[in-house]
Amino acid sequence: MHRLFGWSSKWWPGVIPLVIFWAIAAWNSTEPLEADLVQRATAALKDTLLDKRRISVAGRDVTFAAEAFSEDGRASAVASVEAVPGVRLVNDQTRLVPEAKPFAWSAERDVVRVTLSGNAPLPATKARVLEAARANLGGVEVVDAMNLARGAPPRFDSAALLLLDQIGKLKDGKITLSDTKVSLSGMARDLGGREAITAALRNLPEGYSVAANDVRAPPYIFQAYKDPVAVTLTLTGYVPDNTVHAALVAAAGRKFFREKVVDNLKASVGAPAGFANAVTPALSALSRLSTGTLVVSDREVKLSGDALYEAAADQIRAGLGKDFPPGWQFRPEISVRPAAAPVDATVCQQLFADLLGKARIRFESGKANIVEDSAGLLDRLIETALRCPNANIEIAGHTDSDGENSANQALSEKRAQAVVDYLVKAGLPANRFSAVGYGSTQPIAANASDEGKAQNRRIDFVVK
Amino acid sequence: MIHLTTFYWIALLASLWLGLAVGWISVVQRGAGVSERWRWWLVALATALVAAAFARVVPGRAGYWLDLGLLMSAIYLCGCTLGSWLRGRAISRNAPAE
Repeated sequence: MHRLFGWSSKWWPGVIPLVIFWAIAAWNSTEPLEADLVQRATAALKDTLLDKRRISVAGRDVTFAAEAFSEDGRASAVASVEAVPGVRLVNDQTRLVPEAKPFAWSAERDVVRVTLSGNAPLPATKARVLEAARANLGGVEVVDAMNLARGAPPRFDSAALLLLDQIGKLKDGKITLSDTKVSLSGMARDLGGREAITAALRNLPEGYSVAANDVRAPPYIFQAYKDPVAVTLTLTGYVPDNTVHAALVAAAGRKFFREKVVDNLKASVGAPAGFANAVTPALSALSRLSTGTLVVSDREVKLSGDALYEAAADQIRAGLGKDFPPGWQFRPEISVRPAAAPVDATVCQQLFADLLGKARIRFESGKANIVEDSAGLLDRLIETALRCPNANIEIAGHTDSDGENSANQALSEKRAQAVVDYLVKAGLPANRFSAVGYGSTQPIAANASDEGKAQNRRIDFVVK
Repeated sequence: MIHLTTFYWIALLASLWLGLAVGWISVVQRGAGVSERWRWWLVALATALVAAAFARVVPGRAGYWLDLGLLMSAIYLCGCTLGSWLRGRAISRNAPAE
């Protein structure tokens, strides 16, 4: 032992190569060793729930920064890194994910994208919400601007997923969840979308409530376009239900005796009150125009087009709005079509016959009141009468054979007179017209059938 | 530190061989050894460095290099001890035969 002590005094020359070895080893091993520690520390945290994780190693010392979702999680993450073999020190820069108060989350939709922002409680929730948004919204771009935060109310996931479903029903708008209060604003994509959203919000998880629902419905649009070239009446837009749908199409068929009705209407909820009562007279007014468009948008009725003569234009402008239910507005843009060239009496007679061959002037049953559906036909008869200003015209009333002859005679006279009154009111001189009643004495069809009787109940225009 | 030997085992092996060689030679070397005073200084230095290593006061890479240096030194000293002891035994075995 003593000798060993003596020999050891001569061991110093080896220190010089030892230092060289040490320098070489330090030079070569430091970086690979650090990389290995980073890799093993990362692997140790694989199953730990953390946000903003950052691991850096200098020598054997690990600097570990991360945001944890609970104190236990934070402590166990640090312990995991400390337990990695080879680690000397852990420079702990971990902290808890900040707590949001109130815990707010929102989904905002504009024309091209949906932006998800605010807070999400866990990365898994965030991923799930994003995935659901992408699946629900088809091709719409989904932008993720969500941050992680603690303090989410219970059942946040279910609430957020339900609200994401609703953002799909909006054309644009925003849904905000602030703690357990839901606020919605924007415009529904479809008619009925607003109601669908309201219904869906009843399924919000327990404890959640709607603070404000300012979702607006898109305008309830009904359109009718009278095309004089194609001789069609095209109906598009919405009607409240199938009953109103059938009634409107039937009314259009009666009022537009020449045009083919093209029906592209769809039934939808959300119609303003009094829809049918406003649209039916508006269709009557449209039937009086030579060409025109009727646009009903919510409670606003816009009628544009050309009337056949000045008095008709005045009647439409002044008369239509009066028939509307309260709250409805009428915006007429009626001009008058240039008067057609005058024709001689024979042509006039032919034109009257053509018109009355297509449709009949109709009255209330057993009375001499002209029904509104005949306004379009009467306007065309008046326009024709204006083209032959020198012709005197007999307005001839006829009935079917039902009832007593004297009553029929009286009714036919009254109806002929009612037509004359209508013509005079439209501005034609009274002295050109004579009202004559023929009762049932001049049938044009057999009175044996209902169809024949209908043909016999008529008003004829006879140029004298 | 032991887990990390895959990164510097060659250096440890080199230290051991160096120690064995120096220890082997030191038995018959005639030059001047480290004086008693210096020896105390060296022991004090070594103690301080070991204390610093265990206290983990040297941060980052320098800390790792300190650990590595001390480990290599320890193995070198072991090699020296073993080398000197073997040489010493070899000499004392041969001496009676002379």
